[in-house]
Amino acid sequence: MQNVSVRGPEVPRNIEALDPVFTVSDLSVFYGAYEAVRGVDLTIGNREITAMIGPSGCGKSTVLRCFNRMNDLIPGARPAGKIFFHDEDLYGDHVDPIEVRRRIGMVFQKPNPFPKSIYDNIAYGPKVNGMKGKMDSIVEEALIKAALWDEVKDKLKQNALSLSGGQQQRLCIARAIAVKPEVILMDEPCSALDPIATTKIEDLMQELARDYTIVIVTHNMQQAARVSDRTAFFTAEVDDAGERHGRLVEFDETSRIFTNPSDKRTEDYITGRFG
Amino acid sequence: MSVLSTPRSAVRLASKGTPLREHVFRIALLSSLVIALGFLLMLLIYVLEEGWPRIDATLWENMPSIRRPETAGIQSGIIGTLWIIGLTALMALPTGVLAAIYLEEYADRTKWYNRVIELNISNLAAVPSIVYGILGLGIIARWLDFGFTVMTGAITISLLVLPIVIISAREAIRAVPPSIREGSLALGATQWQTIYRQVLPSAVPGIATGSILALSRAIGEAAPFLMLGAATLVRFNPEGVWSSFTVLPLQIYSFISQSREEFHILASAAIVVLLAILLLMNSVAIWLRNRYQKRW
Repeated sequence: MQNVSVRGPEVPRNIEALDPVFTVSDLSVFYGAYEAVRGVDLTIGNREITAMIGPSGCGKSTVLRCFNRMNDLIPGARPAGKIFFHDEDLYGDHVDPIEVRRRIGMVFQKPNPFPKSIYDNIAYGPKVNGMKGKMDSIVEEALIKAALWDEVKDKLKQNALSLSGGQQQRLCIARAIAVKPEVILMDEPCSALDPIATTKIEDLMQELARDYTIVIVTHNMQQAARVSDRTAFFTAEVDDAGERHGRLVEFDETSRIFTNPSDKRTEDYITGRFG
Repeated sequence: MSVLSTPRSAVRLASKGTPLREHVFRIALLSSLVIALGFLLMLLIYVLEEGWPRIDATLWENMPSIRRPETAGIQSGIIGTLWIIGLTALMALPTGVLAAIYLEEYADRTKWYNRVIELNISNLAAVPSIVYGILGLGIIARWLDFGFTVMTGAITISLLVLPIVIISAREAIRAVPPSIREGSLALGATQWQTIYRQVLPSAVPGIATGSILALSRAIGEAAPFLMLGAATLVRFNPEGVWSSFTVLPLQIYSFISQSREEFHILASAAIVVLLAILLLMNSVAIWLRNRYQKRW
């Protein structure tokens, strides 16, 4: 189903994932009257890692935050166009954003553990969602999956803020996993971490992609190249009225984006000529 | 050799002495502090010295008396103050915290009415306390017919401290980083769950500190009670919220307006008690702040 052949080389490629979890069609995002992102078409494949890259202000985080309706929390933010989660319109009238966020987890740029114990950080999500089952085993399972169990199993009652930055971020991943989501969104999850901690998170992402669909926004092109299956390249364009809008330039298999991009702008960006 | 022998003077870092301006500025800062603390210290020493002979068990055990100032006490004032502050805490703290939660977490700041409310809360905090006394007299004591009772006094003082409680609770709530809210909401928590389980527990130390400071301001108030007619010497403790009462500041005021020297000594002793209560409350506030200070 990859509609490649019909397009000439001068048209940026936008491939479709075979088994899409999200289907985005003609998505624009407004902050009040300002159109931050314009006309995005994108599919996110099931149990794949999709990376969104591009220069600052290109709208990649804005698009990411539409996937779990976190943008609802910003007064005046409003999407136009459609995002389907499987077959359901994510912004349909009957959809409860609370339920959306439970099924679609998120990890933020700066590790943001709650100022509570490690155990309580993990147990919080299952508790507020009224999940059944033995809490101890839920916590253990989440920490094992996030490759943190061995480091913290003897200090579950300790304050989460006493962990290192990399550990805190893996705790946040464990916290997201604990509510058993289908998708994990990651908004520049390694930008506040050192290289060793970054490597650990990247390894973890590969591991998690067996069970979860992952969408990651990153400034680090090497990271996108290392971990992702598909990459979406965004950029900011200035229109005739002088306003900047984020646009999706190209969406393709990561190997192709980094070796043989179909758009000049992608090539310029990944070779470091701008951005 | 010649390459190594760079002239020493070129790299000298020796001090040229602190400029005079620096000294003058430092002295100005220090003397401002000394003036502020000096007067407080003088006041403390003065009242301690004057009131010392009367700081004893009879001060607590006895009721105020016009005829025998040398053995008169201030029990009704202390008990009255405790009643007022206790009842005020019960009424003003929950109301103030809930109002602060609304303003910080729910109110849409683009709406004009929310901005009007916000502006006027700051205005209310600046209204002189005597005005609240008039309000209490006119509306609570007369119109609602609550009379000159503990209830009237506590409601009036609640209204007086409410803006301060709201403002300090808002600051405490605002100090909880937005990333905590985002983290909670991203897990599928509702807004109320996020507030109740994450924001409020993190804000409680700040709210408690602000509330204690607001209440300790209320303890020193005399003006609204003057309006509410609690000015006379009360020789009994309040028996309930519908009982008449007096408070320490008013007790002190009525002692000082007597001509006999013994009353002035008694007033000083009562001031020492009042200051001791205030210092105790402020120390608890500071302790709470340091003990539970959050580091993100």
